Amino acid sequence: MKNSQIAIIIAIAVLIGYTLVRLGNSSTYSNFEQATASLGVKTTVIGYLDTDQPMDFNPKTITLTFTAKDKKGNESMVVYHQPKPQDFERSEEITMTGYASDSAFIATDILMKCPSKYNEENEVQSDKIYK
Amino acid sequence: MQYVGEHIWAADLGRGLTALSFVFALLSTLAYYLKGDQWKLLGRLAFRIHAISLFGLIGTLFYIMAHHYFEFDYVWKHTSLDLPPQYLFSAFWEGQEGSFLLWMFWNAILGYILTYSAKKFEGPVVGVFAAVQAFLVSMILGVYLGDMHIGYSPFILVRELAENVGLPWTQFADYLERFPNFADGTGLNPLLQNYWMTIHPPTLFLGFASTLVPFSYAIAGLLRKDYKTWIKSALVWSFFSVGILGVGILMGGAWAYEALSFGGFWAWDPVENTSLVPWLTMVAGAHLLLIQRNKGGVIPAALFLLILTFLLVLYSTFLTRSGVLGDSSVHAFVDLGLSGQLLIYLLFFTIGSLTLFLARYKGLPKKVKEDRMDSREFWMFIGALILLISGLQITLSTSYPVFNKLFGPDGLITLYDQDKVLIDPIEHYNAIQVPFAIIIVLLIGAGQFLSYHRTTTTQFFKRQILTLILTTIFAGISAWILDMWNPMYVTLLWCSYYAVIANLEFWIRWAKGNWSIAGSTVAHIGFGLIVAGSLVSNANKDVISQNKTFIHEEFPANENLLIHQGDTVELGDYWVSWTEQREEGYYQRYVLEFFKEDEDHSGELKPAFILSPSIQMNERMGNVAEPSTRHFLTKDIYTHVTYADMRSMEEKGTEEWKNAFDIELATGDTHFLYGKYQVRLDTLVVEAPQGDGNLKYAVLGAGLSVTTMEDSTYKIMPIYAVQGDEGQHVDAEIKELGLKFSFDRINYESNRPVITASEHIEAEEPFILIKAEVFPWINLLWIGSLLMALGTVIAVTTRLRGK
Repeated sequence: MKNSQIAIIIAIAVLIGYTLVRLGNSSTYSNFEQATASLGVKTTVIGYLDTDQPMDFNPKTITLTFTAKDKKGNESMVVYHQPKPQDFERSEEITMTGYASDSAFIATDILMKCPSKYNEENEVQSDKIYK
Repeated sequence: MQYVGEHIWAADLGRGLTALSFVFALLSTLAYYLKGDQWKLLGRLAFRIHAISLFGLIGTLFYIMAHHYFEFDYVWKHTSLDLPPQYLFSAFWEGQEGSFLLWMFWNAILGYILTYSAKKFEGPVVGVFAAVQAFLVSMILGVYLGDMHIGYSPFILVRELAENVGLPWTQFADYLERFPNFADGTGLNPLLQNYWMTIHPPTLFLGFASTLVPFSYAIAGLLRKDYKTWIKSALVWSFFSVGILGVGILMGGAWAYEALSFGGFWAWDPVENTSLVPWLTMVAGAHLLLIQRNKGGVIPAALFLLILTFLLVLYSTFLTRSGVLGDSSVHAFVDLGLSGQLLIYLLFFTIGSLTLFLARYKGLPKKVKEDRMDSREFWMFIGALILLISGLQITLSTSYPVFNKLFGPDGLITLYDQDKVLIDPIEHYNAIQVPFAIIIVLLIGAGQFLSYHRTTTTQFFKRQILTLILTTIFAGISAWILDMWNPMYVTLLWCSYYAVIANLEFWIRWAKGNWSIAGSTVAHIGFGLIVAGSLVSNANKDVISQNKTFIHEEFPANENLLIHQGDTVELGDYWVSWTEQREEGYYQRYVLEFFKEDEDHSGELKPAFILSPSIQMNERMGNVAEPSTRHFLTKDIYTHVTYADMRSMEEKGTEEWKNAFDIELATGDTHFLYGKYQVRLDTLVVEAPQGDGNLKYAVLGAGLSVTTMEDSTYKIMPIYAVQGDEGQHVDAEIKELGLKFSFDRINYESNRPVITASEHIEAEEPFILIKAEVFPWINLLWIGSLLMALGTVIAVTTRLRGK
């Protein structure tokens, strides 16, 4: 094998190595406790909207503030500087990417899972039978 | 029981044809597997019967959908009486069952063609098709073996669904008439009522189906130990596949860009990724076949890539249809509980084909001597390798949900106790894929100036001096116009221009416009333009909507703009006004009028264009924003509504007065109200006559002055009269402002009056938030897409003719 070919194989190996390093860069889902433990570090928390606590969207400043509970039951105030997603109140589960600050979790990205209205309407109303 | 009004004949016909089609696919596989001319004839006959019954079953499903037989679950779920007829096709393949049928339809057509064209390879080639079809038909069989169900039939009746069996309503023979639910179906998801949904899935599935042809030829070659004669046919088919699959994927991107508010044409979503990867490996495989034909020596790699491509299509099917992607994709299919069956399908072909490949590996013809570094074949091989690595990287990163299922907290073998996730997938993929793209476009350009066998260095550079100069000039000018100086991006821009110009120059100057390579030239130019267009439109994407009300030092300026109805606000180079809101079917449309300042700097605004982004009121997925885009030659202005009050009038309430707010004031105090008024308590008037040594009654008046932003002041006096424990209020109203003040009470602790202010419902101006982005030079991407498609068509036809 020629030297030049060895060089190319090395180049490819570097590329693969680079890819693998980047792969290792991924993160795990965390919760509010872990997020608060490392302030300012970007992470992803899955939780749900706590409807007992006030939720506010101020369109003038484009700030959505709400309280979320993670899967372990930790509560945190969440501030999101984006328009309130459609049907936010109906969400079952919220995936929040962002970082914790000393006063609230600052979400930069929010994904939500909504129950489908479609499924609710999809049932045959069998109670009508007995009327 | 005899049910009234059911079309049982259609169910029987559909299921009968499904069974027929399944059995004949199996029979065909078996017959083709057994050698001998008689068996081959039987295999061919069986495949054709399979294909014809499949077409019959597809026809039956169309028939019941077109006639709205709502007793069928598939019809009820995917159509409705008001579904416009042009969306019948979209409704057909909206569900898993229908999209499987679409895939099988193309496989059957291609297989049918191959029963004529494959000639001496017909046995193994069509045999593989039959086996694949048997697996696919099994997905819609809908039969039960004990507790296990095989497939999910589109001909199942609603009353036969597992969750409905035994329910009281199924005991009524006339249930179809008795229950209003059956009068109409739920219809096609409005999000999919779009012409892209009519053309994108068939193209993409034809692309998927077409990957099976080179795969079958590869398997046929391995089975027969023939590594030569099938190359020519496989070559044509693989370029056919590259073209169709490429167009299918790009159509998906165009759809996302035009009708969905994903904010671009490519989002690195798992579903997008898993359709891109087979395309990458097919491009690699097809180019290896080219090397094989012109020079030879790459049979093992070519076979491997052709096999891998089809396996990746199966893997993609598994990911998108098994429900394993779960939360990580916005558009995977609904899980039908077929994951076990899909896994068997995937494993059968993976293990089968790779075992065959390994078993034959030793006997495969290898290279006699190493390629020279200065030969075209060497660099084409490197290019193929890069495409493979790029594809593998995308596959690995997309497979996180699979790894989590296998090794995560609830996995088979727990290796880590928290699910892994990509925090910023777009950044992740771009960072890795941009260097790969650089190498690929560089090779597409440089490869043209290399000859098979060997090229001298002087030859190589002499040939392309003009290209190098032109590329550098154009790339330099472009970077300067765009003000884009990121070294990685500039390199990619240079390389993609290089690919375009090199191919053009080579074809005109050195190949003298030779028609036989025109296809490759056009396709390569197209690819170069696609890369350049994607790069510029993404890297130089400019969000022109900025919220100027609030910019906190810690946060980037918000990228959304608040517009009150009727207001005109600045947006980039334009002024925009939200003039109208109207309801159109499922859509709530927001009409935005764009104005541009007059060029003579008089400050006068001239209407420029109108955009109407909308929000689709989608019962199934929640409301969805649909963008509206103004196309210019060199850029697109893309807008979508990011927030709008979608509450109906009932939800908003019928209260005339709202936003009640208590203000406590001492005389001389001012308060800032609703973010726009100054309220000052000028004086407190008290009349409290004494009689018999007691307070008879008290009348209190609060003299308020309300000042607006425009500096007009209103003087009012709400009154509060008390006698004993009874109080009376005389409220003061400012009609022009839609404000009401009520003297509510005296706070006895502070001894100050408490005034309740409220706003009239009409004083609350409606507003929306919009986001507007400029995508520069995105037309390069679309022109490139068309050229790439055109190029593959030319390449395939010239090869077919030269056969």
